[in-house]
Amino acid sequence: MVARDLLNRLKEMLGPALLRVDTPADDRIFIHVERDAIRAVCRHVFRDLGARYVISIGADDRPFSGQYLVAHDFAFDAAHLLGSVVTHVPEGDPRLDSITPDVPAANWAERELRDLVGIEPVGHVEPKRLILPDGWPEGAHPLRKDVAWNFVPEGYDPERAFKFGEPPPGCTVVPFGPFHPTLDEPAHFRLYVEGEVVRGCEYRGFMVHRGIEKLAESVLSYNDIPMAAERICGICGCVHNVAYAQAVEEAAVLRAPPRAEYIRTIMLEIERLHSHLLWVGLACHILGFDTLFMQSFRIREPVMWIAEKISGNRKTYALCLIGGVRWDLTLELIAELRRVLDTLEAEWRAVIKAVLGDKNVQQRARGVGVADRSLVQELSLIGPVARAAGVPLDCRRDHPYAAYDRVEFEVVTHEGGDVWARIVVRMKEVLQSIEIIRQCLDKMEPGPIQLAITDELPVGRYGLSSVEAPRGESHHFVITGENHRPRRWRVRAPTYQNLQAVPAMIKDQQLADMTITLGSIDPCFSCTDRFEIVDLATSTTRVWSAEELARLARAGRR
Amino acid sequence: MELLSILGCVANAGLVLALAPLGEGVLRKVTARLQSRQGPPLLQPYFDLLKLLGKEDIESGETPHVQRGAGYLALATVLTVACLLPLGFRTPLTGAGDVILLVYLITLAGICTLLAGWGAGSTYALLGSSREMMTMMALEPLFAVSLVAGAVQTGSCQVDRVLDGSVYGAGGIPWSGLILLATMALAFPAFVQRLPFDVAEAETEIMEGALIEYSGPKLALFKYAQMVKLLVYSALFVALFVPWGSGWAFPFGWLVFWGKVLAMVLLVTAVAASHARYRIDQALRHFARLLVLAVGALVLACYGL
Repeated sequence: MVARDLLNRLKEMLGPALLRVDTPADDRIFIHVERDAIRAVCRHVFRDLGARYVISIGADDRPFSGQYLVAHDFAFDAAHLLGSVVTHVPEGDPRLDSITPDVPAANWAERELRDLVGIEPVGHVEPKRLILPDGWPEGAHPLRKDVAWNFVPEGYDPERAFKFGEPPPGCTVVPFGPFHPTLDEPAHFRLYVEGEVVRGCEYRGFMVHRGIEKLAESVLSYNDIPMAAERICGICGCVHNVAYAQAVEEAAVLRAPPRAEYIRTIMLEIERLHSHLLWVGLACHILGFDTLFMQSFRIREPVMWIAEKISGNRKTYALCLIGGVRWDLTLELIAELRRVLDTLEAEWRAVIKAVLGDKNVQQRARGVGVADRSLVQELSLIGPVARAAGVPLDCRRDHPYAAYDRVEFEVVTHEGGDVWARIVVRMKEVLQSIEIIRQCLDKMEPGPIQLAITDELPVGRYGLSSVEAPRGESHHFVITGENHRPRRWRVRAPTYQNLQAVPAMIKDQQLADMTITLGSIDPCFSCTDRFEIVDLATSTTRVWSAEELARLARAGRR
Repeated sequence: MELLSILGCVANAGLVLALAPLGEGVLRKVTARLQSRQGPPLLQPYFDLLKLLGKEDIESGETPHVQRGAGYLALATVLTVACLLPLGFRTPLTGAGDVILLVYLITLAGICTLLAGWGAGSTYALLGSSREMMTMMALEPLFAVSLVAGAVQTGSCQVDRVLDGSVYGAGGIPWSGLILLATMALAFPAFVQRLPFDVAEAETEIMEGALIEYSGPKLALFKYAQMVKLLVYSALFVALFVPWGSGWAFPFGWLVFWGKVLAMVLLVTAVAASHARYRIDQALRHFARLLVLAVGALVLACYGL
């Protein structure tokens, strides 16, 4: 119904600039528009209709349509509708009106368009490099189809540095990261600090770009990608695994058998359990409260064990293929899972009681790192960050997938939008997850777990999938393609949106609150390694310099 | 007499040097048990120090000699404090200094951390130094007030007379002494730079602050100084506020004294394990409230209450 209303309004507003509208299902809409109308449509959708911005996708469609393709994804959460505004950009003039003046949430996504696909967002509010490393030459765009996955550009300049903005007057620069004890992964915040108060900051991240999307559309095949997708994140990998499989299934109009959907739901909730327990532990560690950190990890351990018993791994469950899951839950496993949940629930209730009554933790968390309703809306924040500001966003209810339409649960929200509210939301969601798993175990019927797919998947279809990760919505966009692999697969992890709000959240806060504020969005960057060579013959140790490593890596890739 | 004093000093310094890592070991072990962990062996801190002392001496700060000097000074200062304390026996250095010296030495111990940060010169080190300075300015008067209150009650600045439960005065209910006991107990983790008041180091915020550029033997000096500090300040607290039983004949008095010091270490452990770190502004407000109380107690002490 909402899709129909939207369609009529847009027809009226745009006239011939509206090229085509597809509604492959009740809860999906693809709006194809002329390039020049993109900003007006997005403004209308975001500002007038109150849609939530999800992500922008840029694709090199030249081999197929001779043009570049750009899609801005939006979510109408209350109406249970996911939509995409799609346009084509001609090869000779790869430029597009930026939507950031109206949709500030699109800041990073449009910078990524420019970096990776080479489509210039005209009028962008902060037209700086985002993803490519500092020394990468202009004019080389990794996600273009004529660029090989192992391409090394000529003219890489290690001396070239990223240009940061000027610090405000009277402030000193405090570098936070790339390496810091509370950052599990490299990211750099340049903090402008006056005394002990943070007056501003600039972010430079994307230190480790692994090129998984490029790999998927040039080397892997449909059923390899779920395993690569799972390795996007070390904590909530299953989310990406499921989201990718669902996006492809949607594009190909397939549906996994009911039992497979229940198993997906159960594993996603097990993942949420361990992720939230881990987060509560880490948050306490950041606050210097190591006792609860350790207790939280102790309580979490049985969850990891049962995950290993079910899937063979503590993490990285390797759950989905297109059209189903790879393994079943036996009766013994179900009985043991129920026992684990019972113990967990009892222990976690005790922890909640202890934390909610702890004045000391509240002193550090209340009024800290506030993201209020308006910030949530402006930057399209998601997950516990939105729910802690009293905005009831939850993809499990808003855009149901797997078996979530068959279980009952209330969306957990809290007021205040501060770190404390996020702690409360996450702690309560643990209990909610336990309840969801129990319902799934009760309702699950025996049956097949994998669809028999006999035909090639159709080519050139679009698929969207939003999965509620522990950190918020993970969104995947797939365009199916030839050679048994997608033409384009775009992943938006929840941290991508939430991290953009950190500068606003820490402004005018104490420097000491920086770590817990950043920690409270449960950030998830990516992983890296240091590299050291030990010569056993002479027992000498040599640490490689950045230049040597770069040279070695490039030599290996050629 | 002079030879005896020197021997006493050597004995005191040797004793705290020998026992300090054990105190740290107890702290770590008990913390681990409170956190459902196995914990390191009791003697682990000894091995840690040996390992650090055996490592390469890297100079990474801006003014290495200041950094090195700060390390030596830190350990030397706390050892000097140890020489002024009655560690189960009479104070070895009765004639050489009074409680004013003690106040200065305690301040000097804090200044070593400032020097360490300034010597390193990097952003986080300077942040640590500035936090240490703010903490010091709020904290040092507390110890001074307690010592002065003791001196007022006994009418003497001699360490051996003041450091004998002097804050409780002669007769009646010792109101000022009890108030000082409470304030000092509430601020004690800050004196020994432990949670919830380790804001100047705050590993998860400013990465050990002033010590960020330290490694190897220089770090060992500071770590050792911190371990000694835990023991020596506990001893100071016991001597000033918990005199009961220390006067018994050897070895009972000695054992009772070290038992009380151990109790202080356990108290610090329990508080650290059950609290999150305060923010610097919250900590300073806490100290300021305590200082007001302490000064009030000093006024009471002047009126003999």
